[in-house]
Amino acid sequence: MTAKRIGIESSLAVAEAVRLANVDVIAAYPITPQTHIVEGLAEMVANGHLDAEYIPVESEHSAMSSCLGASAVGARAFTATASQGLILMHEVLLVAASLRLPVVMAVTNRALSGPLNIWGDHSDVMIARDAGWIQIFAENGQQAFDQTLCAFRIAEHQDVLLPVIINFDGFHVSHVIEPMHFLDQKTVDEFLPPYRHPHALDPDKPVTMGGFAMPNMYTEGRKSLDTALRESKKVILDTWKQFGDIAGRYYKPVEKYQAENADTLLVTVGSYSENAMDAVDKMQAEGKKVGLVRVRLWRPFPYKEIIEALSGATNVIVLDRAISLGGPAPVCSEIRAALYSLKDRPQVVSIVGGLGGRDISPANFEKLIATALDKIKTGDAAETIMFGVRE
Amino acid sequence: MKREDTIEIRWHGRGGQGAVTSAELTALSAIHENKFAQAFPSFGPERRGAPVLAFNRISAEHPIRVRSSVIKPDIVVVLDPGLVTLINVVDGLKPGGWLIVNSTRSIDDLQSEFSGDWKLAVVDASSIARELLRVNIVNTTMLGALIKTTGVINIDSLKEQLEVKFGARAKANLEACRKAFATTVISSIKTGGQKKVRTFAVENLAKWSELPVGCVVTDVGNTKQFCTGDWKAQHPVWNDSKCIKCGICSLFCPEFCISQQKDGYFRANEFYCKGCGICAQECWTQCITMVEEA
Amino acid sequence: METLSIYAPKLITSREYIASGHRACSGCGEVLAMRYVCKALGRNTIISNATGCMEIISTPLPQTAWEVPWIHTLFENASAVASGIECGLKALKRKHGYTREVKVVAMGGDGATADIGLQSLSGAMERGHDFIYVCYDNEAYMNTGIQRSSETPFGASTTTAPSGKASMGQHTWQKNMAAIAAAHEIQYVATSCSSYPFDIMTKVEKAIKIKGPSYIHILSVCPTGWRCPSNSTIKMGRLAVETGIFPMYEIENGKYTLNIDLPKLRPVEDYLKLQGRFRHLDKDNTAEIQEKVLDEYNKVKRLAAGNKAK
Repeated sequence: MTAKRIGIESSLAVAEAVRLANVDVIAAYPITPQTHIVEGLAEMVANGHLDAEYIPVESEHSAMSSCLGASAVGARAFTATASQGLILMHEVLLVAASLRLPVVMAVTNRALSGPLNIWGDHSDVMIARDAGWIQIFAENGQQAFDQTLCAFRIAEHQDVLLPVIINFDGFHVSHVIEPMHFLDQKTVDEFLPPYRHPHALDPDKPVTMGGFAMPNMYTEGRKSLDTALRESKKVILDTWKQFGDIAGRYYKPVEKYQAENADTLLVTVGSYSENAMDAVDKMQAEGKKVGLVRVRLWRPFPYKEIIEALSGATNVIVLDRAISLGGPAPVCSEIRAALYSLKDRPQVVSIVGGLGGRDISPANFEKLIATALDKIKTGDAAETIMFGVRE
Repeated sequence: MKREDTIEIRWHGRGGQGAVTSAELTALSAIHENKFAQAFPSFGPERRGAPVLAFNRISAEHPIRVRSSVIKPDIVVVLDPGLVTLINVVDGLKPGGWLIVNSTRSIDDLQSEFSGDWKLAVVDASSIARELLRVNIVNTTMLGALIKTTGVINIDSLKEQLEVKFGARAKANLEACRKAFATTVISSIKTGGQKKVRTFAVENLAKWSELPVGCVVTDVGNTKQFCTGDWKAQHPVWNDSKCIKCGICSLFCPEFCISQQKDGYFRANEFYCKGCGICAQECWTQCITMVEEA
Repeated sequence: METLSIYAPKLITSREYIASGHRACSGCGEVLAMRYVCKALGRNTIISNATGCMEIISTPLPQTAWEVPWIHTLFENASAVASGIECGLKALKRKHGYTREVKVVAMGGDGATADIGLQSLSGAMERGHDFIYVCYDNEAYMNTGIQRSSETPFGASTTTAPSGKASMGQHTWQKNMAAIAAAHEIQYVATSCSSYPFDIMTKVEKAIKIKGPSYIHILSVCPTGWRCPSNSTIKMGRLAVETGIFPMYEIENGKYTLNIDLPKLRPVEDYLKLQGRFRHLDKDNTAEIQEKVLDEYNKVKRLAAGNKAK
């Protein structure tokens, strides 16, 4: 059962989850704010606490490529990155998904250049949105630990065989020391069966992995991948249920906070959810009908749960911690699209904020909600609002 | 929708034979005549020797908007004599359409290959090209047959395009073209007149739900089902009396298709042989000669 | 002629690891080189193949010419994928009872090796993974239609460095990949050529025995890109060696051995004049190439002679 309560930095908690998962190969390249995770793992390997191959590759592109190679022979592979590192491995991300290699990756979300910025922001992973990976957000260190363990089980499930990204905000989560509950090795071993790939590269059963498809094959290949990703939700839900049963912490694709009687729902992703909770508590105490909805599962996109959570509200305010230059903010645009088919759909306001590590305090969240409601009142809610920018 | 006045042409050749150039010159000539025209290849990884396609659309009146493959051509031109028996070259050819073939075979003989209401033209373009261009590349020569039979472009506009493309070599190309114009034989094909019925391979590809995880291929080495023997324009013939059974031909065969028989002599598997001629070139006793495909 | 086995070609195993029906051009030297490499490697091999001709011609879904386990992911990362395979197998052996001895081999063309994939190759050699890297050098990006690479020879005309009134075509000398590999101080580096099956196989067999990285650079004749007849493939490779344009040598723990040391080299013209890509070169160009070839050849020769002196 659940082991004792300890205080630890979130990055090191993720490293501990990877150790408990008894990973076989880690290939990683340093980038802030991901470094503490892989430093932690390198130390475990060096001290003999984790029996794994640590490949200190020469780039993120090679980090992901090495993970593919390891995963393709049937070894459990992990890497971690952020920002430009994720962008550099982007080309390889697509292949990990299409070859159905269940690599697990932690992404400490960070802004993209330029200007160069090393702080929290979701722009890095939003660009990887269409890569075919399962993508999950954690809001604090405990969730990052839990979701990393779940990620291996989801990824390697024989009905899934897809790579998984666990997102958590750079610095705001990655570098924060928090109280956490770990699981013991025996519990993890029971939760996480050994990895087996049905077509692992092996001279006893040779296969060809990565052939090319002409127009007469490509559509079928993409349909097969897309279906696998959409249908992975069943396994994700089942894994979270089982994890909840052993750890006592239950997760859902979309999670609500004080949303029952709210007219206005704020939608957040990632670590800001906890700041927003404080704001919601305060506003509700003041009699304001405001609630919070947090998106945990980003891919496959949880249409059903999003509609279920938001359809009853009058106003929906979506905070994107990413900017889509010249276009609609990514999370809001998908939520709008999901709600579009409803007869009575809520007003949706799009807010971009918290870019490149800029803080949104609980007090600022109150202001943010007020600004959005103002826009709805004045009837100019169509445009994306950039929150907290010096005018 | 395709406009009524648009003429569609499908070119059949082999990678490296210049079918794409034929289509390009046709379109450029038509555009030069103030017509609307397109030329495009079938995009793919086809290699030198492999059967390839190229296409034209030509309209005197209307801009051409369709960018799809030509499925129901008005004209089919076959650059390589061997393709007639390998590929269903008349696939989709419209009734009354033209089939223009480079072949040494007689027109009567060729008529017996097909069944349909088409016009047939035959020219020995390979001999013309070898004589006047000193290579067996018939892309410009066949344009002479196209002009004679269909008149979709005229020879003067082609002349200008040849000069732009080939410079000093334009003259010989034009000469080859004119000779083809003069020697093309014209007849017609009737429905039911076919003597040899050939069956052509039909692709049977998996549904998306039948694809293995990650599109892996578990049936390793299954390119063995794929006939690359279609690509060849010539094949090796052994003179066993000179053969010393050394096996050098087998060693240097890029198709790995030459093997020793029970009697100790070597033969190429025609299903794969692409006719590169390395075996004949490298044979220590020169016992192999390359013979043109019929 | 009953003493058949005296003929060397028959000493080579008849087992193929790449099937017929592949889509290589008629007369392809690269697929021949790959065939000999694979014969020497045998079945206990896992191949990581970079994007390029050999990948495209061998694996059009749903078909494959490969009979050994094979993976292609991208253009520039064959060595990084091989690194992961090698480490994955190590972990499987140590932790999960995997017992087979497998040689990991990364392969790519000159573009995948000397240009876009140089970083991942350098990284994998530096880290000391137990793998063989084989470069099939056909001296340009043939897969995409004969564009110049850093391995395209001086004076060759390609589609992105064409010869014309204002240009002689490629105006740079080839990147010396064998020297770059050797600079990583790996145990075994060798050059070979698609016209020398026994040389290729001997070198691959040596590389298999090395624990750590080894690098084999194989000049692979491409009649399509070099614009020469498809039956001249073997002859062209031999001429490259006999003119000294492509010396075949090994660097074992830093020591050079020139494998074919000709008493007299043929003039480079014998090689250049047979290929369309060099057709535009004049006498001065040829003389410049001749001088450089002799310089480079003599450099290798001196390095090899230095070894003997020691």
